[in-house]
Amino acid sequence: MVVLRAGLCPGLTEEMIQLLRANSIQTVVDFVASDLEYIAQKCSLSYKALVAVRRVLLAQFSAFPTNGADLYEELKSSTAILPTGSPSLDQLLDSGLYTGEVTELMGAPGSGKTQVCLGIAASVSLGLKQHVLFLDSTGGFTASRLYQMLRAQAEEEEEQLEALQRIQVVRVFDIYEMLSALQELRERLSQQVVSSMDPLKIVVIDSVSAVIYPLLGGKQSEGLAIMMQLARELKTLAREFSLAVVVTNQVTRDSSSAPPKPALGRSWSFVPSTRVLLESKEVTLQKATTQRIASLAKSPRQPVGIQAELDIGSADVTPTERL
Amino acid sequence: MRKELLRPTRARSGAQQARGSAHVYWLSWPCSVRCAPSPRRAMGDPFRRAESGTQPLARLEGRSALKNLEPYLFAEEGSPVHGDVIEFHGPEGTGKTEMLYHLVARCIIPKSGGGLEVEVMFIDTDYHFDMLRLVTILENRLAERTEEMIKQCLGRLFLVNCSSSTELLLTLYSLENMFCTHPSLCLLILDSISAFYWIDRSNGGESLTLQEMNLKKCANFLEKLVSKHHLALFATTQTLMQKSANSAESFFPLKLTHETDTDYRPYLCKSWQQMVTHRVFFSKHCNSDNSKGFTVTSCHLKRNHVVKRSFSIAECGVQF
Repeated sequence: MVVLRAGLCPGLTEEMIQLLRANSIQTVVDFVASDLEYIAQKCSLSYKALVAVRRVLLAQFSAFPTNGADLYEELKSSTAILPTGSPSLDQLLDSGLYTGEVTELMGAPGSGKTQVCLGIAASVSLGLKQHVLFLDSTGGFTASRLYQMLRAQAEEEEEQLEALQRIQVVRVFDIYEMLSALQELRERLSQQVVSSMDPLKIVVIDSVSAVIYPLLGGKQSEGLAIMMQLARELKTLAREFSLAVVVTNQVTRDSSSAPPKPALGRSWSFVPSTRVLLESKEVTLQKATTQRIASLAKSPRQPVGIQAELDIGSADVTPTERL
Repeated sequence: MRKELLRPTRARSGAQQARGSAHVYWLSWPCSVRCAPSPRRAMGDPFRRAESGTQPLARLEGRSALKNLEPYLFAEEGSPVHGDVIEFHGPEGTGKTEMLYHLVARCIIPKSGGGLEVEVMFIDTDYHFDMLRLVTILENRLAERTEEMIKQCLGRLFLVNCSSSTELLLTLYSLENMFCTHPSLCLLILDSISAFYWIDRSNGGESLTLQEMNLKKCANFLEKLVSKHHLALFATTQTLMQKSANSAESFFPLKLTHETDTDYRPYLCKSWQQMVTHRVFFSKHCNSDNSKGFTVTSCHLKRNHVVKRSFSIAECGVQF
């Protein structure tokens, strides 16, 4: 709610505001919704001036429609598809991560979410020479593992180090830290001082459930409101600055036989545009396997349910993982 | 979507990157539209002449008929008519947004291509609208798949993003002018009207009136827009809550309960509930042996007619 005050827009004088307040018009919404003819008579204000103020206020505080054809032109030049570092996962995602969207990787602990995130960071930083922002909320980010991935993909040490430098890691252990890190990012991007070299293309959040879980339960609506605020921030960042946003989430089941579904409840389920479920290929107690099955759970482009096999790699990254 | 259009753009300068902001669209908008005053201004407005003599007529009867929009979606023949308010309700991944793309495509494809050739206003509160998906659907449906043709179709679509319920309300006020100046603008889509539910609920504190204040104002103004400008309104609501265990508040008449296993619990404000004329429930079959994996249950609320139909989603969009 924006309260009317002098200087809010040209033509809105202190005197006018006093008169309006006397008629219980205090906010921009009150003013825009009021019958200006009636107000003009009652407050003996100029009708023309009121109409002019209304028009300026509307222009200032409402969103403006874009023509579809213009938006399409805009998108053709701003949308990019970023490779994930795994050809099979790229294929599942219809050639990679799309900018402007939130993509969710969901899976049980140990299903390879963090490994896929690190793989994405390595691939975008090394292959595309683009900056990466990695928000780590679980302490799962391992620089040595990332370096290992980079070493497997690039021969020269200098190239590896440059790639490492392009990946910025921020440790955030609650939702407020995360929101402020995103706010800082927004400021940096809108001031265009990302870096003197390359623009940022991707934000990886591992994991989003770790910071949201503590909010849920109890006095529910407050926690849900903060969760939706985070969702909104992620989606607007993705759209406004053409970023690909990748988040990881846990899974839950309605019953032991039911298929896994994303954690964080119904309201969150609407947030990501694309959702991938990661699972271990076979559960063996003796031996951990590096094979994972990725299945598409939600997509605006591909039929859901399609699957791909990927190898999250042990110490060495397999040759097929090379770009 | 032809991906070669996208590929070369991977490495872009920072200046280009910022072009996605709404600010730029604002500047590129033709000044005449932005500044044109609302014709409903009363006597004495010096800008009154902005409304030509043909526009009031257009408002009264010029809006094209929408009955061929998608007959399978409605329980009654001849729907929707101007003034109808249709709510799409369902959980995530049940095809609501796909159905909206289908309707948008039906509207913006020219008559020569089997479409309705009318304009559409799409209000995206979830930042969910995927232009590239719509283009794919258009490419699959148009006989003439040139860029020129696609852009001609997209020229009939207007998109606006809103990020709070206050912004939505003010945007609705500012759109009124556009409905006056665009007589072929017949369809208003709001995806979704439940987007701000939790944030508004938390901002309103303990008072239900405060929680619902903005949405109530939006609903009231939407009702006015729809009836005054002879529009059809499609709005989605998300299944944010489970159906309450108390079956007394069941939405369906008893005889229909067994046909409709929908998980529906009205949670938006009364003003919205009361203005809805058709409610369409979306669901998805888990064990889909047949190709049609999605179902709509469409209810005409005034006459209590219910119809259930299946559809599938392919590259070319929704198919009944």
